[in-house]
Amino acid sequence: MTVDKKIIMQTKDLTIRFGGLVAVNNFNMKIEEGELIGIIGPNGAGKTTIFNMITGVYVPTSGSVDLEGKSIVGQHVSHITQKGIARTFQNIRLFKDLSVIDNIKLAAHYRTNYSLFDSIIRNKKFKNEEERIYNEAMEILKIFGLEKKSTLLAKNLPYGEQRRLEIARALATRPKLLLLDEPAAGMNPKETNDLTELIRWVRDHFKISILLIEHDMKLVMNVCERIYVVDHGEEIAMGLPKEIQNNKKVIEAYLGTSDEEAL
Amino acid sequence: MNIEYFSHLMIMSGIFIILAVSLNLINGICGELSLGHAGFWAIGAYVGGSYGVFYALPLPNFLNLAISCGLGFVAASLAGLIIGVPCLRLRGDYLAIATLGFGEIIRIIIMNMDVVGGPRGLTGIPKWSNLPLIYFFVVITIIFMANLVRGTHGRAIISIREDEIAADCMGIYTFKYKTLAFVLGAGFAGIAGALYAHYQEFISPNSFSFMWSVIILIMVILGGLGSITGSIVGAVILTILPELLRFMGETISEWRMLIYSVLLIVLMLLRPSGIFGKKEFNVLALFSKKEAQ
Ligand SMILES: Nc1ncnc2c1ncn2[C@@H]1O[C@H](COP(=O)(O)OP(=O)(O)OP(=O)(O)O)[C@@H](O)[C@H]1O
Ligand SMILES: [Mg+2]
Repeated sequence: MTVDKKIIMQTKDLTIRFGGLVAVNNFNMKIEEGELIGIIGPNGAGKTTIFNMITGVYVPTSGSVDLEGKSIVGQHVSHITQKGIARTFQNIRLFKDLSVIDNIKLAAHYRTNYSLFDSIIRNKKFKNEEERIYNEAMEILKIFGLEKKSTLLAKNLPYGEQRRLEIARALATRPKLLLLDEPAAGMNPKETNDLTELIRWVRDHFKISILLIEHDMKLVMNVCERIYVVDHGEEIAMGLPKEIQNNKKVIEAYLGTSDEEAL
Repeated sequence: MNIEYFSHLMIMSGIFIILAVSLNLINGICGELSLGHAGFWAIGAYVGGSYGVFYALPLPNFLNLAISCGLGFVAASLAGLIIGVPCLRLRGDYLAIATLGFGEIIRIIIMNMDVVGGPRGLTGIPKWSNLPLIYFFVVITIIFMANLVRGTHGRAIISIREDEIAADCMGIYTFKYKTLAFVLGAGFAGIAGALYAHYQEFISPNSFSFMWSVIILIMVILGGLGSITGSIVGAVILTILPELLRFMGETISEWRMLIYSVLLIVLMLLRPSGIFGKKEFNVLALFSKKEAQ
């Protein structure tokens, strides 16, 4: 007997046009509770654009994005985050000139319960809430091994730690679905291995669904339970890592471009 | 230097500290470009001044001054809301263009308002401001700003300057916080206006020309965009500098703007982020250096 798991997020015929270019065309995907899914595809395939539509950064030309069965198309990015979708960026977008801990504290902003007035007069309510935010932030930093660097400016972290901080910051918004845009980009093999473990652990520990874009095939094949392959804005294949590895269309798409990572 | 002249410089420094610190909230802490700060200053001055001339209640001076500042704050922040909301919804430099126009429009509106004296200016404003009262408001302003940036609302405002898209993605409704920064910045300029009106006893539209918006902006940049301490230092330097130049003779004084420009260019070459950068001078940090290590 198989019980269908709850669908966390679903896109229906997601399409976006930039002038004459159809960057994503009728893209359909489904993510169930606790799933760890990958999106792969050659450069310029439209992967990041899909993330931008799911998170509300771009409004799709047509089609819809449903979060737990309700459409979120057209809602402001910040409201979509508050409803449970968090992300990282292909080119790290930390608050560079802020401390590591302030980066995390900002993710708790929308769950903070004191008014502007409380913060100006620094009353008990303010202090209690700030203490809670601080403790929560330190807890997350500990998980990511960054607690000793909490007062450093984000820009002064080494590259690999900046990537980890960005994931930590996204998790601190308490998402149901986490989107990771090429989390291993620029990492060395050891860092990539650690990251693979971390991604799995995060999914199990926080009991969330994860959708990741990645060019590192080893990581994708290792960690993802299902993979969507996009080329020229369209889905060309979907399935288990093994199925994808042997899919003709996928091999063609990769060999047809100058992408070095042949499957 | 006689005591009266010294006290005048202190008072003008205080007024410009409020103006610079409030503009710093918009331009430095939030990272939006506003070019019409003198306009909000003018609104505060005219609203506060009008209260003094036409509606003053039989209250002690300090209470009347507080009411006047309150009215200046409300009027200027309302103006800020009206300009800010449409501009801040859009990404880009709409705010810079709109505030640039706003500063001049306010001046032209006042020129054509006979009730407040039109181009002749508003006279007979009761002298409610004095040195201690002005510094009371200066201290309030500084404490307000310093506490603001150490709370979640202030952090949200700073995150907009750092990376607006990332801030959105953290669940921060950035439009709301851009508006908050702009409206508060405008409001505090309104307080500076009321204090100024009740010190000078006379104000005219030309007291608030575009040049003043530029000078306040230079104060902020000189001190370091984003640094409250920097804005304070910048305000004091640029209030006292022209007086020093005046001592050197009429001609040098006329070259004031040129001297500012040179000063700014030299600063940008030596310290591109201003005297303080984004840093704050923290008295407590001096005593707890070891702890910080
Ligand atoms: N804002 C935009 N305006 C115009 N074109 C855009 C915009 N954003 C993306 N595109 C175009 O859409 C296409 C897909 O881009 P996207 O960034 O989604 O690719 P990708 O799959 O993430 O590639 P990569 O692996 O290089 O990150 C590209 O041709 C890109 O130039
Ligand atoms: Mg991409």
